[in-house]
Formats: sequence, C-alpha cells, structure tokens
Amino acid sequence: MKLKKVKALAVVAALSIALTGCAAGASNTAGTMLDKLGANEKSLTLLGWPGYAEDGSNDPKVDWVTPFEKETGCQVTFKPYGTSDEALSLFKTGQYDAIAASGDATLRLIAGGSVQPLNTKLIPSYTGVYSFLKNRNWNTVDGKTYGVPHGYGANLLMYNTKVVTPAPTSWSVVFDGASKYKGKVTAYDSPIYIADAALYLMKHQPALGIKNPYALDDKQLAAAVTLLKAQRANVGEYWSDYLKSIQSFETGNSVVGTTWQVIKNSMSAKATVDAILPTEGATGWSDSWMIASNAKHVNCAYQWLSYIDTPKANAAATEYFGEAPVTSDACQYASAGFCDTYHAGDANYAAQIWYWTTPISKCLDGRTDVKCTDYSAWTKAWQDIKG
Amino acid sequence: MTSNSSVAGAAIAVTPARRVSSYLYNHAKLRLRLLIAAPVFWLGLVYIASLLMLLITAFWSIDEFTGNTKVIWNFDNVTSLFTDALYSTVTLRTIGIALGVTVVDILLALPIAFFMSKVAGPKVRNILAISVLLPLWASYLVKAYAWRSVLSNKGVLQWILEPLGLNTPGYSLFGAAITLGYMWLPYVILPIFGGLEKVPGNLLEASSDLGAKTFTTIRRVILPIILPSIIAGSIFAFSLTLGDYITINIVGGANQMLGNLIYTNVGTANNLPMAAALALIPIAIMFVYLGSVRRTGALNNL
Amino acid sequence: MAISIRGVSKKFGDFTAVDQLNLEIGSGEFFSMLGPSGSGKTTVLRLIAGFDLPTAGTISLDGEDVTNKAPFDRNVNTVFQDYALFPHLNVIENVEYGLRVRKVGREERRARALAALEKVHLADFAERKPAQLSGGQRQRVALARAIVVEPKILLLDEPLGALDLKLRESMQIELKELQRDLGITFVFVTHDQDEALTLSDRIAIFNQGKIEQIGTPHELYEKPATEFVARFVGTANVFTAAQSQNLFGVNKKTMIRPEQIELGATGQEATVMESIYLGSSIRFILKLADTQVIAEVSASDENAKTYRRNSTVKVNMSKTDLVELD
Repeated sequence: MKLKKVKALAVVAALSIALTGCAAGASNTAGTMLDKLGANEKSLTLLGWPGYAEDGSNDPKVDWVTPFEKETGCQVTFKPYGTSDEALSLFKTGQYDAIAASGDATLRLIAGGSVQPLNTKLIPSYTGVYSFLKNRNWNTVDGKTYGVPHGYGANLLMYNTKVVTPAPTSWSVVFDGASKYKGKVTAYDSPIYIADAALYLMKHQPALGIKNPYALDDKQLAAAVTLLKAQRANVGEYWSDYLKSIQSFETGNSVVGTTWQVIKNSMSAKATVDAILPTEGATGWSDSWMIASNAKHVNCAYQWLSYIDTPKANAAATEYFGEAPVTSDACQYASAGFCDTYHAGDANYAAQIWYWTTPISKCLDGRTDVKCTDYSAWTKAWQDIKG
Repeated sequence: MTSNSSVAGAAIAVTPARRVSSYLYNHAKLRLRLLIAAPVFWLGLVYIASLLMLLITAFWSIDEFTGNTKVIWNFDNVTSLFTDALYSTVTLRTIGIALGVTVVDILLALPIAFFMSKVAGPKVRNILAISVLLPLWASYLVKAYAWRSVLSNKGVLQWILEPLGLNTPGYSLFGAAITLGYMWLPYVILPIFGGLEKVPGNLLEASSDLGAKTFTTIRRVILPIILPSIIAGSIFAFSLTLGDYITINIVGGANQMLGNLIYTNVGTANNLPMAAALALIPIAIMFVYLGSVRRTGALNNL
Repeated sequence: MAISIRGVSKKFGDFTAVDQLNLEIGSGEFFSMLGPSGSGKTTVLRLIAGFDLPTAGTISLDGEDVTNKAPFDRNVNTVFQDYALFPHLNVIENVEYGLRVRKVGREERRARALAALEKVHLADFAERKPAQLSGGQRQRVALARAIVVEPKILLLDEPLGALDLKLRESMQIELKELQRDLGITFVFVTHDQDEALTLSDRIAIFNQGKIEQIGTPHELYEKPATEFVARFVGTANVFTAAQSQNLFGVNKKTMIRPEQIELGATGQEATVMESIYLGSSIRFILKLADTQVIAEVSASDENAKTYRRNSTVKVNMSKTDLVELD
C-alpha cells in the first residue's frame, strides 16, 4: 500500500515538473535585431488569420504563396487561427517563424518576448507602406519596429435600411438609443469591444476624461461596463464568426450593430443593409507580420515580410480578406473600386479609426498618475457584461 | 507409447515464441496483467492524470502581463467561484437549461422508445431505429447551424407559428434548449429503448389482467422497471448540456453558459487556472448527480 | 355458463390460429384445453383473457358479452406460463398488486394478500423478491396474485410446464384442492395429457385451431371420437378399416387400448417384437399378421415374464372393447 502511494505521488510530481518546465520555457528573452540576411532556409512556418496566406488549395484562383515559394525557395506551411487569443497560445509553442497579429495581440507578443525587433532596411517593400501605418503603438515599442503592416480596416456600423429609420449617423443607435431595437441589436463578441463603448463615451461624456479607448482606468472601465450592460438588455446576439453575422442580418434577427466591410460586401443583393463609419469614428484593426524571437527560418521569414507588402501580393491578400491594403501601389493590382470601397490610403478616414491595441496597465495614453486596466480585467468585465 | 510421444515431442520445435507462450499459459495472472496493461495505461495516465492535472491547475495562477501559467499555489480562483455573482448566475442558468433539456428529452423519448419496443413491428422498428440514429451521423455543427436557420425570423418555425399568432423563440435560451434537446434525444431514447426491451411483454399483460388500466400499468410497472434506463439517459442529456458551449453560441443569442465561461477563460483570457476552476463546477454537479443515482442501479445501464 | 364462446376465429396474417370455435364452460368446472403446441389452445385462453381480440365471433363471461373489452374490464385472471411476476416488487407487493389498482385500503390489502399467500403456503416468503425464489415458489406467487382478487374464472397457461416432474405432481394436487376450495372455474391449458386427465372435470382436445372432442377424461379415454384423440390421449392401437375387417370383421377404422388386449392361451398368434418393462406393467410390441399391436400387461402377471423377444404368444382382443372411430 505504502509503495503504491509513493508511486502515485511520484507520477503527480513528475507531471507537475513537466508542466512547470513547459511554462518556464515559453517565456524567453527578446531576440536581437538581424544585421544582414543569409541564405534562405528553404522552409517557413506561418501563423495568421484565415485567408492571410492562400496557396490555391481553397480556391485555385486565390494564390499568392506559390509565386513566393518559386521566387525564394522557401516552402510555406500555414496555420490559420480563429481569435487573437488562440493565436497567442499557438505562437507560444515556438513552432512558428512568423505571425500575422492584430493590435490586440501584438503588444502581448512583444511584452512576452515572443517576437524580435525588425531591421526594416532588410524589407525593401516597407518604404512603400502608408506612413500612417508605421511607428504606431501596436507595432513599435521604444522606437523599435516589431511588425510590418498586412492590412487594416474599421469596425463599421451596419443597419437594416428598412427597419432602422432615420438612417443613423452615430453609434448612439446601439447604445443610448438601443432600446428602440430591443432584441435585434448585435455586437462583436470579444473583450476588445469594450473599446467601442469607451470610444462612444470619449465623445459623449468628456467628463470621464477618456483620451484613448484602450487606456481606461478603473473608473473609466466601470463607465464603459455600465454602458455595455445597458446595451446587453437589447442585444439579440453577439457575433465573432462573420458568417453568423451575415445570416443574422439577412434573416432580420439583427437589424443594427457592429460589422466589417467584408460582411457588408458578402451580403446578398436582396438584403436591405448599409454600413457606415459613424461620426464618433470607430475601432478597427491593423494587422502586422512579426517574426518569432527564436525563429528557425529567420531569412525566409524576412523574405515573406518583404513579399507580403509588395503591391501585387498585398492587393491579392487584402482584397481576398476584405480590408484596405497597406500601400497605394496595390490599388492597380486590385479590382476596380476596391481601394475606394475600403478607403485605402485615406488618411482622414484612417485617422478616425482607433486600431485594436492590447490594453495594458501602463496607460497607452501616456498617463502615469494612474494604472490602467489590462486585458485580463477587460476579459473578466466582458464576462460580467454578458452575464 | 513412449516412443510415440517422444517422436511427437521432437516434431514440435521449441522456439522462443513457443516458450513464452507456454510460460504465459501457465501463469494466468501475468497473462491478465499484460492484457489489461494498455487500457490501464490509457485510463490511468491519459485520462485520470490529465483530469488530475486540470484540477491541480485550478490552484495555480497566471502572470497577468505575459499570460504564462505560474505555479503559485492559491485558492483565489476557487474562492471567486463562490464570491463572484457572475459564476453563480451562470451556473444556475446552466443547471436550469440542463434540467429542462433532460426532462423534455425524457418526456419525448418515453413514448418513442415505447412505441419502438412494444408496439411497432420489426419493419417499422428498424425504420424508427435508423431515424433515431441517423442524426448522430451528421456533424454537431451542421445540426446547430440547421437549427439556427430553423429558429431565425425567416425560418421554418416562424412560418409554422405565424398563422397561429405565435413567433419563433429566435436565438434565446429557449431556442438553445430546443436545439440541445434535439441534439441529445438519441442518447436518451437508446438506453430507454434498451430498458424497455428487457421488460417482458407479459408483465404488461399481467398488469392489465389484474385490473390495471394503461396509465396505471405505465406508472406502476413500466416506469419503476425502466427507471435505471431513464436515469442513464438523463445522465447523457444532463452532462452533455452542462458542458455545451457551441450550441448556445450559435442559437443562444447573447446568453452564455458555463462552457462559454470556460472557453473564454482558455481561449480569450488565456487564463487556464480560472478555466480549470470553472471546470470544477460541472464536475462537482455531475459527482453529486451520479452519487445520488448510483443506488438506483442506473450506472449499470450506461 | 361461465364462459361461452361462439363462432370465434383468430387469424394472425394468413395463419388461422383458431377456426370457428364453439365452447361452453360451466361454473366451477375444472376445464382443460389439451393439444400439441400450435393447436390454438393458448390463443383461446388469450382471447378469453382479452390479450388478443377475436377476428370473428363472440365471447361471453357469465352471460356478459366481453368480446371487445380490455383485460382490465374482464373478471378473469391469468396465471402465466413463465409466471410474469413483477421483478421490482417483492412477493407480498406482487400479490397486492391487483388490490392496489382496485384502490383497496392498505390494511385490508395486506391481510388479503397474506391470506392468499397462506393458501399457497408462502406466507413466510412475503418480503422476498421474485428473483430469490425457486420456480415452484414463483408459480405459487403467481397463483396467489391471481386468486387474491377473487376472480370467477382463473385461466392457467401451462402453469406447471417449467417445473420438474416431482414438483409438478405435488402442484397438480394442490391446484385441484385449491380449485375445490375456491369453487371457481379453472381453465387450464396444457400439452401434458396425464396432467389434463388427472385434474380435469372436462377436457377439450385441440388440433389445428379446432376442437376434436370435448368430454370427461373417462369419455376421452374410453370413447375417443377420432384417431387424433385416440392417439393423443393415452396409447392406442388404431386399425384401418381393412385391418379391422381382417381382425374383427368390422369394416371401419377402430381402436383398442393396450391394456384391453389379453395375452394367454387363446386367441390369434402373434410374434413378440419387443418387450418394455415399465415398472407396474410390461409393454409388448407384437406382430399380428401384418399389423403391429401394442399390448400392456400387469407386471404381476407371472406368465408375462415368459414372453420373450421372437417368441410366439396368443392374443385375445374382445370386440366389445373395440371403439369405432370417425
């Protein structure tokens, strides 16, 4: 009996040590910047949103990976992920050379030491990228650039033109005025949506002193939560799967709420919907390609980062996903009207977008007198809002 | 005789394999141990140990900045299960849905299983058995999305109910309960059908013969005998509902269940310890439930 | 009449289980339905109980037409072949069941159930579950459960079929006593002719969905109407018309029982083919001209021991013992 107990304890102890080891191994120090490129390693492992690295296997006409492979000799293995948070845990396994991450993940990757600073001189296409996308707080820390842009877009306000009258111009239709459409309001199902409420409060309740919807102190977060809890009573459903959102608007289960341009574009011709950028501006995303600090194929990774910002590849990738390209030269390779639809290069439009950024306790708006609420606080708040 | 047997003995070459075989043949216990080694290894290490790891994780914490799990022993996560109103609200809601789904499934399964077992001829029974099993071949997600379409404002349900002056429940807790009830119905019908199959037909005749009308026979003879099977079915419906987070996401509107909280903590918050702590709730509920039905013999019917 | 069956047929698909049957059973009678399996006797019992409904004809119990009534609306009770005890109830609860559904009060219920159990000598087993009882004990519980509701008619479907010989014989006596004691009608289905002869006031012989003959055991044994009855009830030497003409000068199909054949000094010569010792008697298989004849002689007959295989004996068959068959 005694022996058995000892054995059982030993097994548990061994497992605990194994797990501790894993956890410890995941956090390593940031890599150093590369000075010059070496020979390509013939292989490259990428992690990104679905549709960010298409090799023709989903649709033979959609393929910008094969030309890259022919050009560089780097064989690409691509793994798509569903949410920023899933991306984070996948990337921590250390199997990936590069990742396409949204602003709500990039800071966490940089802080966790998972990605390395980039030498933009080694990325020729970087010079063509819109300047308003460079050196932003979701891709640059302490003057070091950690990511090159892939594409960007805004979270728009979609509404059913038959039901929602008069046509809204403000987000108030889903906040203060939401009860008019009780049960048919929809919102994006993620803690990052708290920023949408914060943006609304920033414009309508200046007394709260919100300067950046991603930098909220306890009081400001509480105000946003109150607003979202009031909204919750009118929400029919939250969405995170964009196909689900399309269907809801088509059947009339949802009539007003957050959307993406790609959703609007995918709606059937019969659907009486419109999507606008409200007067308050909007939250949005700007995705960046980053290289793992311990990347096994760092040269191929640099080649990929350079390739994805070339006009032709960037046009193909962003048009397929439904977001604005990062260089004006891309427009000539995209279908007619694409750049206009997505407001590519429109700095005024882009200025109204508050790109997804991971909230951290060090306030992103520069305040030093208070601690801001971090993403885990937002996550807990989001669960409370949904109830 | 002697020469004969020695000839026969020489004809069989003494290979190592044969020696092992004959050794095992003479050591029944060793043989048994070797046989069950693989399943025990699987059950022990992969199943029990991983569950144990999960439970242990609940008492760890995470580094808030990097999101890495840290081995700092504490009861904060478990304590918050009791102190945070969110968790008790969601737990009660989840139990409520699970109970509702279970009761409705049993009420639906009883007549279907009874018809299959005691009324239908062999042909009709086969057709019914296939119809009950058929949905199990379709993907869970496909079924959930099919119900999303059925429950929508332009769905079949609305089309049926509109002339009656009613509306589809839409994407709501009720809609989720209907969908979950549909999902788990086969898992409730099958054990009840199995239980009814074991009730000899002449018991029903005997009851009727002794003066019991149909309803009395059902209440006093059939239900008590198949009670363990009903409980077995209820364990499926209840525990599967308890752990669901996909259906509620697809047809449950803005509502969340325990599974969503666990999923959010693993997927969004990257907070494995909190997720593990939340996972303790359904485990505890199932322990209480299984403990209370253990004496009925239902666990022999799973 | 306790039971009156008129023109009743029962078909299962193309198969006719019971064909235009007429049967009257009197009050207080111990009536047996005897026949090979598949002859329709159990179906008739089920029609009386109401488990099956007839395809044609009427069934009356005590003058009341119950043809289409459910079992629970008929004042008959059944003892099933495999007992059909409720496995989830103990012995006394099983016996109480009929009273419980009749909403008899708890104390009266218990008292009457105990009395019924005492009748079948099982009062000590009241708290046991059926699974803890032997076959014979379960049979008694089934009996007690049926009689506790005081039916006018008790139907018994091969109730002793699953018991071993010794137990069966003692249960036969108990059944007979019980029936006399209760004074109610017993309708007893069996394929065992000895059982039927021992117990019954009257017996109906079933064959292929029809009754071949109804009569007292004595009548059936002594005066079988058909070859089927003659052969099914006891052992019979059946002669074709030609053989009868040859042996007795009667140009009809006839029958004689083995024990009515005398072996001795007089009569026709026959060869002993086989002799079988049966304890109280010895059975001889004889060859009489071209006809095979079975004779049975008391074992106490000293001469009988001398008739060996292949020896010749003289056979004496009295014409008065001869029964003419249809």
